[in-house]
Amino acid sequence: MGVIKIERKKLTFLERIYLWETAKGMMVTLRHLLRNLFNYKDLPIIEYPEVKRIYSERFRGRHILTTREDGTTRCVACYMCSTACPAECITIEAAEDDRTREKFPARYEIDLLRCVYCGYCVDACPEDAIYMTRDYELAIDTRARSVVGLRDLVVPPNMPVEPMGWRPYYGEMRKEGTAGGTGRGQEIRTAAFPDDKAPNPDLYQGDVRPASESTPARGA
Amino acid sequence: MSTPTRFSSMPYTGPAPTNRSPYIPKGVDAIDKRGEEIEAKIAAPYVTSVPGQDLPTFIVEREKIVEVLRKLKEDTELRFELPVDLFGVDYPRRPEGRFDVVYQLYSFKNNERVRLVVHTDEDKAVPSSLPVFQGFDWFEREAWDMYGIKFDGHYNLRRILTHEMFQGHALRKDYDPAQRWLLTEKDVAKIVPVVEHHPEDSDFEQVTLNLGPSHPATHGTLRIVVTLDGERIIGADTEIGYLHRCFEKMSETHTYQQVIPFTDRLNYCSAIINNVGYCMAVEKLLGIEAPPRAQYIRLVLSEFMRIADHLVCIATNVLDMGALTNFWYLFQPREEIYQLVEACCGARLLPTYTRVGGLSVDAPANFLDMAKTLVKKLPKHIDDAEKLLLRNRIFLQRVEGVGAITRESAINHGYTGPCLRATGVAYDVRKAHPYMGYETYDFDIPVAEGGDTLARTLVRLEEMRQSLRILRQAIDRGLPAGPVIVDDPYVALPPKEKVYNEMESLIYHFKLIMHGIQPPVGETYFQVEGGNGELGFHLVSDGSKNPYRVRVRPPCFAVYQAFRKMIVGQTIADAIATLGSLNIIAGELDR
Repeated sequence: MGVIKIERKKLTFLERIYLWETAKGMMVTLRHLLRNLFNYKDLPIIEYPEVKRIYSERFRGRHILTTREDGTTRCVACYMCSTACPAECITIEAAEDDRTREKFPARYEIDLLRCVYCGYCVDACPEDAIYMTRDYELAIDTRARSVVGLRDLVVPPNMPVEPMGWRPYYGEMRKEGTAGGTGRGQEIRTAAFPDDKAPNPDLYQGDVRPASESTPARGA
Repeated sequence: MSTPTRFSSMPYTGPAPTNRSPYIPKGVDAIDKRGEEIEAKIAAPYVTSVPGQDLPTFIVEREKIVEVLRKLKEDTELRFELPVDLFGVDYPRRPEGRFDVVYQLYSFKNNERVRLVVHTDEDKAVPSSLPVFQGFDWFEREAWDMYGIKFDGHYNLRRILTHEMFQGHALRKDYDPAQRWLLTEKDVAKIVPVVEHHPEDSDFEQVTLNLGPSHPATHGTLRIVVTLDGERIIGADTEIGYLHRCFEKMSETHTYQQVIPFTDRLNYCSAIINNVGYCMAVEKLLGIEAPPRAQYIRLVLSEFMRIADHLVCIATNVLDMGALTNFWYLFQPREEIYQLVEACCGARLLPTYTRVGGLSVDAPANFLDMAKTLVKKLPKHIDDAEKLLLRNRIFLQRVEGVGAITRESAINHGYTGPCLRATGVAYDVRKAHPYMGYETYDFDIPVAEGGDTLARTLVRLEEMRQSLRILRQAIDRGLPAGPVIVDDPYVALPPKEKVYNEMESLIYHFKLIMHGIQPPVGETYFQVEGGNGELGFHLVSDGSKNPYRVRVRPPCFAVYQAFRKMIVGQTIADAIATLGSLNIIAGELDR
């Protein structure tokens, strides 16, 4: 079994008078300074937000819900993503279309503050319906805004691959239909929702519990 | 017990667990034989060995536990000197007592472990093991806090991870996690450190000072209360738990796969090592092994993560002492290591890269090239830091002999990792219990003498070089071909194209997500060498999709409990330097 014993070296006289060592230390700093001055391009600095770091194709950022070519969401409300989610941040309400008997999400909400960005929802989706993007600028001004619904998540059909992050196939987005069929049941979406206003700020209930349920014996 | 709460809003309604076969560990015969030998050595009627476990396991009578611990420690042939772990497990309504208290000891002499189990109940106190092992101090407090297990003779048995106003014991199976307990400022316990010696002729009066919980030099939310005589610390106490996130409780309500993202947040400076440790523990329970390609990628990223961990430790340690330049020089390579991790799994700090049975996704095509470039770049940064620090009189005067701990004291406190190696003990899990093929790599364990802050810095600097050595060998060997996750539909999700196109795979996909991995009934312990020392996961499975108990053996926890003794007699500035060199990560400390 290899063991290295690290010995402490005593300081020599030159090192003890300190000035010479200071000069040597300054040389290191000076080397870095000069290299940075004359190789400005190689500086390990990104001037955010003017310049942004390019993340890999696997980056796990904000989610999107993909759509089929006809503009309906691919999601069939099978609850796989919300079951797999370790943070329990996905809320789905399923509905059925009267004409086609297709299941679709009437409500699909992700609480981005609860989300841990682990990508399990993408792994769990059997329909290629939820992807993560490379969007990491998620600052919001109220807690209510952290809950994003279908309006914020669904993207138009031919969304370019470029901003995509964590997803089942890298390189290109899958376009052809999957096991879910054509799903003509839902209203075809070409752009944003008609009632395109800010998400409902009352959605977030917080940790407020009704008075009857309040914890007993507090401070007793 | 199964009250629906916010954390388990959907009670498990799936089929009864299918996997009821008991867990049979590898090499169980040899372990049982060794267990009998140890039992014969102790030769006491109150110790019964339990066969069929992954470590020699004994049930000890409650009153006799201290005696047994002392025998195991002092027997010249056994020498179980290192207190590894102590924790509780709750089995409500069990006739022989509700709780298990599990002790684990390690012997440097024979490189073996032993597990002791004590059955106890809510009203029966277990004798405190502090006279034998100082290292069980906080572990006993944690067992009291989480389960309400009483320890007779513990000098300071108060809550450690939760706060003073917390009612009930959180890890008991009948505790409802949806309850909230409010701590107001007036209820915060006033901590007065015990002053052992205050010189009579001192010119100063005693002053008690709070460092933290939110202080830039505490690296996370740690509270240190010091009593000062001038600038000299004459008494100190520490308070932790500010970052307690109920990791162990949450794991009990989530499936085995869902725990992996939680492990990221333990030691967030080297998250992949935690992922690997947890996944390998579950794999051990399942009796499977990840494919060679997955093991290789795990190993390479683990070593990079270890380097990143040490870089952060040294950088912030010297930053606290005022050396800002090093901080920049050392954080740059760390940034590039995170870039590699991000290219593999899409996140920098909290990767969630491994899965039970392998990895979530194959490494990118240019993985080896990126690793090669990094390995070429890293030594320069380490050398720069070394040049700026180790021949620098100011730095040496700040760290030499500061925060020293003796070898005996370190072992007795359960130290592992660089902090133990800095006292001259060559113990490294990668050598002692090789995993992922570490035995096939050529590397050395750096040790230093003195156990002070300088020794810890020296060990960490050298350890980074040894990690680079492992990485160079790994890169020379090249990436093994093959899959990155086992081909077992009960453990790993089938590939996506099969899920889309085949009925069978789709069913497996749904089954695995709905019903989770169901390991056999049993318990196991697996340890890896984390950035700060031995990181262990003890899993208890009842055959269902959720772990019955997940216990993390956090290296920081054992290291930090001796901190209050290490800083007595030193100045505040020394205490800050010592704290930085211990590399306390609050995420792991408080879980």
